[in-house]
Amino acid sequence: MGKVIASEFVKIKRKMIVFLVFLGPFGVVSLELVNFWLRYDWLTNLYKDNLWRGLIGEVMMLSIPSLMLGLTIVTSMIANIEHQTNAWKQVLALPVSKAKIFTGKLLLSGMLLFVSCMLLFGGTIILGILLKFGTDIPFLYVIKMCFFPLFSAMPFVALQIWLSIVCKNQAIPLMVGIVGTAVSMFSITFPDWVPWKWPLLINEWGNPIYSVIAGLILAMVVYAGGLLDFIRRDVK
Amino acid sequence: MNDYIIETNGLTKKYGSTYVVNQVDLKVKKGEIYGFLGPNGAGKTTTIRMVLGLARPTKGSIHIFGKDMKKDKLSVLKKVGSLVEYPSYYGHLTAYENLEAVRILLDAPKSRIDEVLSIVRLTNDAKRPVKGFSLGMKQRLGIATALLGNPELLILDEPTNGLDPSGIIEIRELIKSMPKEHGITILVSSHLLSEMEQMATQVGIISKGKMIFQDSISTLRQRSSSKIRIKVSDTEAVSKKLLSWGYKVGSNENYIFVENTSDREIAEIIRKLVNHQCSIYRVEEEKKSLEQIFLELTGGEASL
Ligand SMILES: Nc1ncnc2c1ncn2[C@@H]1O[C@H](COP(=O)(O)OP(=O)(O)OP(=O)(O)O)[C@@H](O)[C@H]1O
Ligand SMILES: [Mg+2]
Repeated sequence: MGKVIASEFVKIKRKMIVFLVFLGPFGVVSLELVNFWLRYDWLTNLYKDNLWRGLIGEVMMLSIPSLMLGLTIVTSMIANIEHQTNAWKQVLALPVSKAKIFTGKLLLSGMLLFVSCMLLFGGTIILGILLKFGTDIPFLYVIKMCFFPLFSAMPFVALQIWLSIVCKNQAIPLMVGIVGTAVSMFSITFPDWVPWKWPLLINEWGNPIYSVIAGLILAMVVYAGGLLDFIRRDVK
Repeated sequence: MNDYIIETNGLTKKYGSTYVVNQVDLKVKKGEIYGFLGPNGAGKTTTIRMVLGLARPTKGSIHIFGKDMKKDKLSVLKKVGSLVEYPSYYGHLTAYENLEAVRILLDAPKSRIDEVLSIVRLTNDAKRPVKGFSLGMKQRLGIATALLGNPELLILDEPTNGLDPSGIIEIRELIKSMPKEHGITILVSSHLLSEMEQMATQVGIISKGKMIFQDSISTLRQRSSSKIRIKVSDTEAVSKKLLSWGYKVGSNENYIFVENTSDREIAEIIRKLVNHQCSIYRVEEEKKSLEQIFLELTGGEASL
């Protein structure tokens, strides 16, 4: 499996994907910098009980839609590397199982998005310090709020990588992903079982871990379904 | 068992209700350059895809190196290099990086990249992005990729497609050198018999999904049985006379044709004609070209 991942990393060299991984969190943090700069007094008054929590809440309002959109674009670009010159027939005639190739693409997507979350974490901390919110930083909470949405959104990563791989026309996965992003933006009023609500980490038990667990379980199911479908198909 | 490198039995692929490949028994022996011929749409690529495990056969079995592709696909593919239809490549990467992405998966030594680059003479362009390559260079990169894993079997689908004459010759020479220098068995497809004639040792001809000929190229040549054509003063009268004597001859306004005859029979015909005061202008042998045989076998489909 390590070989497959290493090969995937060679293939994304000089691709826009790497740039997007940085652009996502950088964009979110800089927009929040502008947001707090322009409305500093109003916002610091609003969140005066807990400035850090306030900041993170604002960040998440942007980071979750960015994550949903970002995972759509990243998975599509990763699959498109093979679609562009129809390299599937080359890769899949190598002595590597189709399951490993599929899993490699999923893991690469997950790893890149994980890097984005790390950057978001770092950026948020720096932003809070710049805004003089004090050094009493709730690290654990910031970590949770930066990484848990990704874990809860893993079913969508699995769904999108499957769609992007099996559809040569990337308009289909992109449309599904964009509609999903829009749905997730209004999902706060949805019942808890709706997966598009999980990245918000809001549930009736008031504990984000339930959204994460549900997300990871569903992700395994979607991954297994996508994998079986991919193995069954003839290579184009 | 047997010593076939590739052996398919009743290989069949159905798309919808049409049989694109129908009961094909491909047999490729070690060290051969097997030319897989057929007009456009005959099912060559589809057969090759099934052989490589890219497409699932509707029916039939495939054995490579004596191993069942259904069971031992990955261990078989370790020893197979392939280039299917137009070459696959990653345009944003250099030739070297393209090979590196595949090398990692094959677990081949890094030095192998330089080796294959020099085999296909791309060493000087190794550091350029492949999207700027000419078709011939991309094709050569494709062959280099196929050679990376030191394969015992090379499967090339129309490797000279779209190349100019010098590119075609270059690739042909490259292919011809492989079995000699590296002991590789090669399956190479084409829709041009003339191209195969110059490198293949065995040929398989497929048409409308069915294998219609499979044997050595010399056997195919023997099929180019010769015709004798005779030019005489009065073609019509002479051909009637010959027919009345019981010779199976054909004719058009210029020539009389005698097919599949022995030397003795020709001598006899000439002697009789001379005795009957016919003026014989020419007696010529007309050999069918391989191209003509190919056209006849495939039902004229390859004609433009
Ligand atoms: N996925 C598919 N679905 C339906 N029909 C297909 C599919 N793939 C190939 N065919 C049909 O199968 C036939 C054989 O195609 P194939 O590509 O094997 O021919 P070929 O011998 O390689 O021809 P060429 O010399 O043009 O490359 C064609 O008529 C093609 O339209
Ligand atoms: Mg073809």
